[in-house]
Amino acid sequence: MYRPLVSVLLTFTLIVTACGSSDRLQIEGLAAEINPDECAEPTDRTVTIYSGRKENLIEPVLEAFTCATGIDTEVRWGSSTQLALLINEEANRSAADIFLSQSPGPVGFLESKDLLGTISTELLSLVSEENRSTKGSWIGFSGRKRVLVHNIDLVTDDELPTSVFELTDEKWRGKVAIPGTNGSFVDWFTVFRDQYGTDVATKWLNDMVKNGARYYPNNRSIVEAAGRGEIEMGLVNHYYNYQEVAAAGDAHRAKNHDLDDNDIGSLLIITAATVLASAKNQTEAHELLDYLLSAPVQNYFTNQTLEYPLAAGVKPNAALPPLTALEIGSVDFDALGGGFDETARIIEASGIQNQ
Amino acid sequence: MSQTRAPRRLHAIGLVCAVPFAFPGLYLIWRNFTSRADPLGLLFTNQTLQPLWRTLRLAILVSISAACLGTALAWLTTRTDLPFRRLLRVVLPIPLVFPTFIGAAAFIRTLNPGGLANDLFGSIGVNQTPELRGLFGAWLVLTLFCYPYVYLPVAARLRQLPGSFEQTARLLGDSVPQLFRRVVLRQIAGSLTAGTLLVFLYTISDFGAVQLMRYDTLTRAIESNYLARPPMAFALSLILLAVAGFVVAVERRINRRLPEVATHRAHEAARYELGGWKTPAILFVGATFALSTLAPITALLDWASDGLLRTQRGGRPLTIDPSKVFEATANTLSSSIATGVVALIAIIPIAILAGRYRDRIGRFTHSVVIATFAVPGILIALSLRFWTLRSGFVGDLLYDSMPLLIFAYVLRFGSLAMGIAVVSVKAVPNRLHDAAATLGADKWRSFRSVDLPTMRPGLLAAGGLVVLSTMKELPISLIVAPIGFPTLTTRIFGSFEEAFVAEAGIMALVLVCASAVLSWFLVLRRADHL
Repeated sequence: MYRPLVSVLLTFTLIVTACGSSDRLQIEGLAAEINPDECAEPTDRTVTIYSGRKENLIEPVLEAFTCATGIDTEVRWGSSTQLALLINEEANRSAADIFLSQSPGPVGFLESKDLLGTISTELLSLVSEENRSTKGSWIGFSGRKRVLVHNIDLVTDDELPTSVFELTDEKWRGKVAIPGTNGSFVDWFTVFRDQYGTDVATKWLNDMVKNGARYYPNNRSIVEAAGRGEIEMGLVNHYYNYQEVAAAGDAHRAKNHDLDDNDIGSLLIITAATVLASAKNQTEAHELLDYLLSAPVQNYFTNQTLEYPLAAGVKPNAALPPLTALEIGSVDFDALGGGFDETARIIEASGIQNQ
Repeated sequence: MSQTRAPRRLHAIGLVCAVPFAFPGLYLIWRNFTSRADPLGLLFTNQTLQPLWRTLRLAILVSISAACLGTALAWLTTRTDLPFRRLLRVVLPIPLVFPTFIGAAAFIRTLNPGGLANDLFGSIGVNQTPELRGLFGAWLVLTLFCYPYVYLPVAARLRQLPGSFEQTARLLGDSVPQLFRRVVLRQIAGSLTAGTLLVFLYTISDFGAVQLMRYDTLTRAIESNYLARPPMAFALSLILLAVAGFVVAVERRINRRLPEVATHRAHEAARYELGGWKTPAILFVGATFALSTLAPITALLDWASDGLLRTQRGGRPLTIDPSKVFEATANTLSSSIATGVVALIAIIPIAILAGRYRDRIGRFTHSVVIATFAVPGILIALSLRFWTLRSGFVGDLLYDSMPLLIFAYVLRFGSLAMGIAVVSVKAVPNRLHDAAATLGADKWRSFRSVDLPTMRPGLLAAGGLVVLSTMKELPISLIVAPIGFPTLTTRIFGSFEEAFVAEAGIMALVLVCASAVLSWFLVLRRADHL
């Protein structure tokens, strides 16, 4: 009774095998732009990656890496939080050598469980001090800046605020969206507490709630809603608006607004790489980290994915506003390792998730 | 239901099949101990009671509306002269296949301010459409995505139901509504409650739709505490599971009071002429189809075409490669069909225990399987990692393998097959077994030649439910699948999260097409040839 299905499946398998039989040492497209040279001899070395960064952006980099070094990559794609939970569950038996996280929170979680190894000082020195762990357990490899995204038909340029503290003003009642429970917002709020003290940060969040700030589950949905005019403005990562514009063009009616350079609302949130303590392929893992921080890959990140480069002296893409607020990133995330617990409590208690 | 005792061998098989379904629950209890969580203390705090209350309110509302909608659609497509019945039977189960994270986003994109349909309404002068969010938004979206849980089993049951009952009732002077209440409703009640229970359990375990609709439920509270406060996440999950257990027990109670079901094979089912009701019926079914299937598909098409046009204009190229879409489609199809088959094999012994015999083990194993449906997928995935890492040799063998993935899918969705399977088991008349025994057939032979053919439409619907749901599963596919085994859903997720909406849209359309083909093969074509 399943005969027709079996034939459909067989056809698929045939097509897949036919498509997959191309020579491994030929790369094209974006991967070839990262590594235009001829590929190295393949080796039997591999590295296993758990990646919270998604395949659309990272796959070309990994292909170029395999081409350049002959090291094969095995990747489990997923959400950073879930992968961190998985590594925690697998503990020292995890298959992962490297974990790439979308934001520092999941890395802090693994650090608190003593599951992270140490990255060589040589590699650590490739990025500036504020973008790596003081203990050497993680390193930033690209950055996303916090901005205020706004609908250009509903809010004019000259009325835009310069600081997140202005957003508690009556003028913005019910007009600001906050991704209250999203990873990057939680990380941002943790730094906010670190910089201004827990009292100031908590008061700001509670005032935002009183001022009718509206809850959205993540950055992407805020940027999309602002583009449609469902919401006037929202606190998000800079990155998503570029993607929406690239996808929808002029139909997307939202733009990023940079708050003051020294405002906490302009914080740079890094995407982090770690080598696990249980990694079986330490050398290969280090080679991959080294590759992520090399000029071609850093160039790729800023030109193709419009993120901020963190190493190899690469300048941000001209479309990105210059980054002068780096010093605000110099927060000791390690010291805040246990602080995420308290952050979660404050956010929950503010009631933002019911707005 | 027979009063005879279940054979001992069946007990053993049933237990073996049911034990794995207890893994996620046992894992949760264990984690509550090891993380020193305090589920009882947490239960009576405001931060638990509020989301718990919201969760229950939503689940009850969605259950009621999905039960009504699913039953009405099943009746109209199996028992009336509604036009396009065959086509409708292929397309009506499709909403099952939308992963809620993208389905809900597609709704928002279509119906909310600035969205496609909203612009359309605006151009004809309707400017006030309600914004989809909160309780209303979550209720609407979940009702539209969950009605197949009721529609499929009820339609399968209606197709089995002998027309003679209804003819008798009519001869005795019942009007159609009277007849529906007194005859049909009684006969479909088992399928209806089983399906509604699934809707309830799915709703309390859903995360994708409620979070996009910004309706704060227990799953959201669980999700945002995994990293920051693990004990709390585990405690809340246990509370969720306890709620599920309670509801399953309630459903069993109700179900036990229902009348016996009866069946005949091969008799022409009664068919009703809609007459003057034809137009309203067409409008009703059409509106359901438009909202539940066309609206999200329109948004997906819009995303996809934006991307294709953009590439034409020389904008950013699409980051998908046809061979990768093929690979993901083949993976999705093979893993979900395998899951459907394995789930049926695992469920049938338990269904026979619970459906044919008054049997305590049958009742208990049945409840364990069903309650597992309320466990969020990520916890099933983590629990399997936990158990495989602690089971030595077998665990090493299974680590990162296809069988483990199928196993996880079966734990997540096997419950979907259970309710329909039990109804199908009950519908096999005992006198057929007696006849088989008289003719000298052994148990196995009688099962093959009496039970299986009679149960077939139900079992196919059950398998179809499992297959369509597996196709959209996300957390298990991400965490348990062997490394390098992308499915359509994991690809959609990866693209969508990074705002590569065109790519997500194209692959979601492939998923919908694949599901339509499967629904034709599995649910309709076979069931119709009875």
